[in-house]
Amino acid sequence: MTRSNRTRLRSGLLILSAALAAPALHAQTLLNVSYDPTRELYEEYNAAFAKQWKAKTGKRLTVRQSHGGSGKQARTVIDGLAADVVTLALASDIDALVTQGKLLPANWQARLPQNSSPYTSTIVFLVRKGNPKKIKDWSDLAKPGVSVITPNPKTSGGARWNYLAAYAWALKQPGGNAATAQAYIGKLFKNVPVLDTGARGSTTTFIQRGIGDVLLAWENEAYLSIEALGPSKGEIVYPSMSILAEPPVAVVDKVALRRGTADLARAYLEYLYSKPAQEIIAKHHYRPRDPEIAAKYAKSFPKIELVTIADFGGWAKVQKEHFGDGGVFDRIYAR
Amino acid sequence: MRIRRLGRGLLAASVIAPLAVAQAQTPPTIEELLQRLEQQEQAIKVLERRLENMEEADTTAAKSAGQVKASERGFTVQSADGKNLVKLRGVLHTDGRHMVSDEADLPDTFKITRARPIIEGTVGGIYDFRFTPDFGQGRTVIQDAYVTGRFAPSFQVTAGKFKSPVGLERLQSANDIRFVARAFPTSLNPNRDIGFKVEGNVLDDRLSYAVAFVNGSNDGGSSETFTDTDVTSDKEYVARLFAHPFGSSESFALRGLGIGIAGTYTDHTGTNAQPFLPAFRSPAQATVFRYRAGTTPTIADGERTRLAPQFYYYAGRFGLLGEYTEVSQDVSRTLDTAVVRSDTIDTTAWQLAASFFLTGEEATYRGYKPISSFSIESGTWGAFELTVRYHELDIDDAAFAGGADSFADPSASIRKASAFGVGVNWYLSQNLKWVINYERTSFDGGAADGGDRDDEEAVLTRVAVGF
Repeated sequence: MTRSNRTRLRSGLLILSAALAAPALHAQTLLNVSYDPTRELYEEYNAAFAKQWKAKTGKRLTVRQSHGGSGKQARTVIDGLAADVVTLALASDIDALVTQGKLLPANWQARLPQNSSPYTSTIVFLVRKGNPKKIKDWSDLAKPGVSVITPNPKTSGGARWNYLAAYAWALKQPGGNAATAQAYIGKLFKNVPVLDTGARGSTTTFIQRGIGDVLLAWENEAYLSIEALGPSKGEIVYPSMSILAEPPVAVVDKVALRRGTADLARAYLEYLYSKPAQEIIAKHHYRPRDPEIAAKYAKSFPKIELVTIADFGGWAKVQKEHFGDGGVFDRIYAR
Repeated sequence: MRIRRLGRGLLAASVIAPLAVAQAQTPPTIEELLQRLEQQEQAIKVLERRLENMEEADTTAAKSAGQVKASERGFTVQSADGKNLVKLRGVLHTDGRHMVSDEADLPDTFKITRARPIIEGTVGGIYDFRFTPDFGQGRTVIQDAYVTGRFAPSFQVTAGKFKSPVGLERLQSANDIRFVARAFPTSLNPNRDIGFKVEGNVLDDRLSYAVAFVNGSNDGGSSETFTDTDVTSDKEYVARLFAHPFGSSESFALRGLGIGIAGTYTDHTGTNAQPFLPAFRSPAQATVFRYRAGTTPTIADGERTRLAPQFYYYAGRFGLLGEYTEVSQDVSRTLDTAVVRSDTIDTTAWQLAASFFLTGEEATYRGYKPISSFSIESGTWGAFELTVRYHELDIDDAAFAGGADSFADPSASIRKASAFGVGVNWYLSQNLKWVINYERTSFDGGAADGGDRDDEEAVLTRVAVGF
């Protein structure tokens, strides 16, 4: 090989190496499309995961977040928002990504432990300090003169949990059936003066705007609100029963494969089940799945009777029957 | 704000009115009044919150709502983020020709030279497409059908049917050319062709490049000459560089200079049925040169190279465009089974065209923007531009050598054409202009008696609509 050819070969190899190494020098990015109340949780979780990822792989990571009503967020991803992962309020919103967007496989929920729900929550009441309207249970929400704040079940995952918790309580009352439950739900929603699109909007309505006597809130939102307001401004009331909300998480395969972030996205979600992550989850008032962490924070999460979505026959049935166009909610709200 | 005032009014009324009525009955207690006040305050807050939510919903909807626009640049439907759009534009040219000289072969006529709806758009923010059918001159032709991926300003890839990046005047839009008929160099350069092109701008947009790999078009021709399908496997390579060396200069006088060079190369062989050789027309569109046809036609047989240095200069109201094109074409003619004549024919053409806006507009290569539009009501006249040009076409003497065995018949084809034209362009608006040219062309050769073809004098007009 001539001298000039050797020089050319060295230059070529140098250029090739730089080209191959260039991606490694760039920070990786991930987009997590989540539901409304998880902002603070994922702010802390993302920092922890990025630190762990850098220590493990040497690569810098930036996780971008998008928050909004769970149903709206699912729609946005179907319409093209390039989410590597989704961490939404209910499984049916992720199912929509399968059926309408063909963005991930139908068996997505089986790919991570506990039906892909690394944390749970429930629905509680946030009332004004001193509970002037004496709101103790679901029956009080339907009384005249009580103003109830809840988001719109058509757009908010949290609102659908609220609705189902109320519906479940009505069914369990003596003589309870679908007709009495729907009548009760009708009375409850007559007491709702403002329907925000998401849980965070309802929190704004109740806390910042001072509207309503009771906010039906995710447990974590209720605690965050007390922390923000101060204990002198509100108090949490646990009803006699509520619903076990299991917000699921999933890799959006079509996006992650296209962006080359499949392994990273999977690791990001798997880390939610780790002990450090479960600590963060508990600190932000989500009920951790890890038994050890759950026991450590048991005092923060009172035991109450909880129904599950399985008691309603699953999300597919619930979505079609209650929240689909022309479903029970549409009929009740139209009256 | 209005709702707050209304709410406070209602509040006052709801407190005072019952008070007035209640004065006749038992007066309300302080607690009742405070309760009523609290209820009214809640009602106002609810109204305000609903309004906030409505405004938020409107803002969200506006962000995702598509937009429909209509302007002098056409009609556009685009997504809220502008990354996806479809635009409808159009070009309509109605031309007139009046022969001043007594040219029996060319009647005075009006014709629709171009009737082109242009559908273009962008998908995904970086993929541009364009589809231009043309219904002018009594036929239907697909002029443009291509997609361009704008991956970077320095790297754009086009696939489809597009203008071959060679001739400077050819690359100018039909609505922007200053004369009705393009000049002789454009008769030597390819028009549209089908293939791939890579192009871009580098060095702070001071240099643009283009390389293309296409089927190969005849001089002045487009691929529809071969029904948009290549009849051989031979392809043409095209390359062009064009620079604005003083593009960022502070000197106004230097900024408008553009200079470049383009070239093409192919090696192809025609057939009796498809010789791959051009014919040339005068500014009035008389055919003044063609290679021999018939049972022993002249065909392209070997290499064809084109070289086209070019420039333009625009400064204020003044514009100047010049180009020179040379085509070197290997030809042959099979006279009988034993005799095949071959040679290389070098054809050249050049032009120098100047323009000047009387009404103060800025002369540019692309587009025009009259300072005013023609309006009887407002007493404005639009823009007026004077134009003048000189152009020549020179056929290699080798084309006519050999008597009856020549590649071109000297009694039917000219050896040289020299044309001088003047004109006035009246821009009635951004979208409408009226062009009138006087062109006088003199010829060497091309007459049946061996002499020179009669001079051609023509007045050419065009009403051009473009948006």
